[in-house]
Amino acid sequence: MATSTAPKAAPAAAEKPASPKPGKQKLSKRRRREALSFYLFISPWIIGFLVFLLGPMIASIYYSLTDWDSFTPPQWVGFDNYVKLLTDDPVFWKALWNTLFYAAISVPLGLVLGLWLANLLNKQVRARKLFRTLIYLPTLIPLVATAMIFRMVLAPNGPINDFLGLFGVSGPNWLYDGPWVKPALILMSTWGAGAATVLLLAAMKGIPRELYEAAEVDGASAMRQFWSITLPHLTPIIFFNLIMGLIGAFQVFSQVYILVSKAKNPAGYDAAQTMVPFLFDQAFSYYHMGYASAISWLLFLVILVFTVIAFRTTRRWVFYETEVK
Amino acid sequence: MATLATTLNEKQQSKKRQEAPAARAFRATPFTYGTLLIVAAVLTAPLVFVGSIALSSDATVNSGSFTVIPREFHWDNFSRVFGTELPVGTFLLNSVLISLFSVAGQVLSSGLVGYAFARLRAPGKNTMFLIVIATMMIPTQITMIPQFILFRDLGWVNTFLPLIVPNFFSNAFNVFLVRQFVSRLPSQLDEAAMMDGLGFFGIYRRIMFPMLRPVLIAIGIFTLTHTWGDFMGPLIYLNDESKMPLALGVQYITATSQAGQAPPWNLVMVGSILLALPMILVYYIGQKYLYEMDISGGSAGVK
Repeated sequence: MATSTAPKAAPAAAEKPASPKPGKQKLSKRRRREALSFYLFISPWIIGFLVFLLGPMIASIYYSLTDWDSFTPPQWVGFDNYVKLLTDDPVFWKALWNTLFYAAISVPLGLVLGLWLANLLNKQVRARKLFRTLIYLPTLIPLVATAMIFRMVLAPNGPINDFLGLFGVSGPNWLYDGPWVKPALILMSTWGAGAATVLLLAAMKGIPRELYEAAEVDGASAMRQFWSITLPHLTPIIFFNLIMGLIGAFQVFSQVYILVSKAKNPAGYDAAQTMVPFLFDQAFSYYHMGYASAISWLLFLVILVFTVIAFRTTRRWVFYETEVK
Repeated sequence: MATLATTLNEKQQSKKRQEAPAARAFRATPFTYGTLLIVAAVLTAPLVFVGSIALSSDATVNSGSFTVIPREFHWDNFSRVFGTELPVGTFLLNSVLISLFSVAGQVLSSGLVGYAFARLRAPGKNTMFLIVIATMMIPTQITMIPQFILFRDLGWVNTFLPLIVPNFFSNAFNVFLVRQFVSRLPSQLDEAAMMDGLGFFGIYRRIMFPMLRPVLIAIGIFTLTHTWGDFMGPLIYLNDESKMPLALGVQYITATSQAGQAPPWNLVMVGSILLALPMILVYYIGQKYLYEMDISGGSAGVK
């Protein structure tokens, strides 16, 4: 990777120090005009930040401390929403547990599969482009369509159960059978493992080949070369995928919302309820706006804690080439 | 120029690779091919199955006896969804409208903001850029409810505006991408333009905007992908079937089918295919810009 970007990266390094001052007065006038232009240019971001982010965040903190149905004036309740969520709402803990379970399995599974596929594609295979495309294709399908597809794939008489039937196994009614809903959702998420594959494959191509040739001379097996050369070099990109995967998994919504509706599928709904659909229902089905705002902050806290933990552990296992030099 | 040199370089390298005996890690065995074939088949099977459902007759839908490999070919299902039967044509048009405006908004605003962060000097700039980076960590759920209240009070619920307008105020990730891209372009370009008497906006419009093409196209692709597949946004803001984009509409059809009656799965799957095809097409056409933008490496980092 480093070699291919070198020609492009070079000009950035040639950034010039400030040009010699031609008279203080003139410079400051020009500087002022430049600063003014800067603020004018970034005004869309400033307005967006204030109106769509900072303002709403402050409002959200306030709402989370109120009991509010969004139609009558909010009633101040202090930390009641948080207390109720943490001590007196089994659905919250259920949703949190389901979310953690989903993230803990689907993210590592997706990474391991992605890594495995990337390693296969990194070999000298014919029709590599075709294989790469077929593996990447599922990640291009919008989530709603994916959910529709898997509803049919996982149907009681769908292809997966047909396949299991070949071995005399009678498959479950995946999406309607409590214990099987989570595995079904995880199965659906691994269909998109190709997203990680592409990034990992690109990073693999950037590993200097001399390393492998040297290892070959030392008699290292293919397996050994993977563990000692490929994997350590990939840790930064694995880490990136881990963080993005975790954040995405904690925010899983569409699949759950579409596949397990409360009205049509109560058993599945109960077993697969995750944080964001729970939040969504509280806000837009029951109009518990204050309560839902509190959920959103707890969700943020959970994401933050896990991201910080992941970052904290990086020194142990993420390998940056610059550290060696 | 640089890209040309790199591709030439890569070509030479790959030639070298073919001549030299491959290191053990790169040798493809029959096992490699076997595994790849199985994986490719398993991953493609759901898509073949979708095609099979989309081509089946209404009778097959009612009996639910679908097969992975298509047995019947009712191509007219693809035209039926544009008739009066299901408003999939309307859904599609809505998706196109929402996506086009969203893409335009992101490309126009993120380019301008990113350029300013990369090139213009002003007090407080570094602090502001830190804020831009920090905002990337805030989950959208935090702002979801207050934004809904805001748009409801503005009377924008059940219009496209809540889905489009925020895009005109740039997005932190896109701003970051543009800034990184601009800081790799030689600054002599803008200096020369300034000598010729161009103002900052002139420089941006005449010099920078054309040079930012790869990164702006990439931003367009990201925005399009996000908007086109977005489900939660339309679910919150749109009530009328006639205003729904395809991502919501497809779900809506299955959710509102009469009790005891199977949803028209063949037509729903035609809708799903229409939802997926543009994304595949955009990726196919857009990938060269994504690589040209070179997101993966060489970024100057956050300074």
